Amino acid sequence: MIRHSESNRYARIEFVALLAAFALFLSTVEYLIPKPVPFMRIGLANLPLIIGLGILKDREYIMLAILKVLGQGLVTGTIFSYIILFSLGGTIASALVMYLLYRFGKRWISLVGVSIGGAMASNCVQLLLSQLILFGAAARLIAPPFLIVGLITSIILGIFAQQFVQTSSWYRAELEKRS
Amino acid sequence: MKQFKLGDIALLVISLAIVISSFNSYGDFTGKPEVHVRAGNKEWVYDLSVDTFATFYGPVGETTMEIRDGKVHVHDSDCRNKVCIAAGWVSRPGDWIICLPNDVFILVEGTMAAQEGGVDDTAF
Amino acid sequence: MKSSNIRLYMGLLALPSILLQDSSVGIAIQAGYVIMLALTHGRRFRLLPNIILLVSVSSAHLLQPHGLHLFSIGNFPVTAGALLLGARKAFTLIALLYLSHYMVTGRPQFPGRLGKLVSLQFYYFERITTSWRSISPKRPFIPAIDRLLIALSAPATDSGSPITDDSPHTFGTRATGSALLVNAFHLIVLWALFVLGQSGILPTL
Repeated sequence: MIRHSESNRYARIEFVALLAAFALFLSTVEYLIPKPVPFMRIGLANLPLIIGLGILKDREYIMLAILKVLGQGLVTGTIFSYIILFSLGGTIASALVMYLLYRFGKRWISLVGVSIGGAMASNCVQLLLSQLILFGAAARLIAPPFLIVGLITSIILGIFAQQFVQTSSWYRAELEKRS
Repeated sequence: MKQFKLGDIALLVISLAIVISSFNSYGDFTGKPEVHVRAGNKEWVYDLSVDTFATFYGPVGETTMEIRDGKVHVHDSDCRNKVCIAAGWVSRPGDWIICLPNDVFILVEGTMAAQEGGVDDTAF
Repeated sequence: MKSSNIRLYMGLLALPSILLQDSSVGIAIQAGYVIMLALTHGRRFRLLPNIILLVSVSSAHLLQPHGLHLFSIGNFPVTAGALLLGARKAFTLIALLYLSHYMVTGRPQFPGRLGKLVSLQFYYFERITTSWRSISPKRPFIPAIDRLLIALSAPATDSGSPITDDSPHTFGTRATGSALLVNAFHLIVLWALFVLGQSGILPTL
């Protein structure tokens, strides 16, 4: 019996690592997509954090968020620079908000709303950090376009996530494993 | 398509409110009070909302200005009569302090509206 | 110890010398030195993004005038202090960025449970990128990534689990004494530049 739960826990860790790797993969996909505006991001790498809401336990969810930040930092080589603060702050804020929205508002909020909330939290924290670290008060000038672009892309990502959990057979299988 | 729920609309409205309020920050950068300092034929400019010390050199020696909490004063000066130090703290646009012996002139510039409108940090 | 780990620890010890640097000339020299380090370890350096960073951060600081009035653009005063502050911040970012690049070349092994998890993540990352190539059609996107995830969730048949053995990425040569010496030298140079900057020996502009 002990053996079984042990191997089960190991499988869970593997699953978190897989989702974290999936986030890394999506950020390379994102990198390849041409963008009309320089600071525009779709935030594809946040998809695992959105779909993980329904299939991960609390601790696993936190682990996924941390692994996403560390992995991206290592791939881009920015892990020991200021950049990691932006990515850490943004990811932790959005993970927290998305988690709370999903846990307590699932009945009224779809993944689209979850994605909007997460993106706004992430972008506000990143603007605050850019004011503190890089641009000073001038960070407020980039706030409106930054927030608008973030809002639009988060809606697109939310619709995408919603469609994914509704049509994916992988997701349905994972969901059944846990029930 | 039963994709959108009521809460989504609420979140969208809140987000739009945040976006719209972020446009307010554009007003902050017009007519923000500045401290202009002239010594000899050079000019220096400082933001009145940023605390700082600065030293200027004139015919008599050094004059040190201090900006703190949105006000400015002469902290120390090598001149004899110390009238500039006695002038104390000034902060309103149009206010000025002069140190005649050392040829240092300090002037607060900006519009009153910006002064009252709040050079604060609530824009986020 | 692997030589990639020596670079990691050298970088960690050098980090404060960059973060605490107050002199804009000092940080500029440090940035140049670190860029050179990254360049000699297979990292690329592109001038344009760094110039854009330097210009944008410096000009952002102009909104908060500070110091000697150099000239005006329209009604707008361009001040020396504001430019220098912005340049210093931009150089700090550039220096940290390339030091970070240098530190993670050869993918060092991070200690502890989290380090193993990161290794596992990279193991899956490599499996995903190889599996993705064999998946077709890639449009529409959702069924494609669905198939990708199903393929990866099936237990791996080829190799054993990477969490028990020493991670598939731990390549890199054994550290030699010379690698240690070279990195100690880099560390001394970066800290010497910090001391020079703090003591005011470097020109302050």
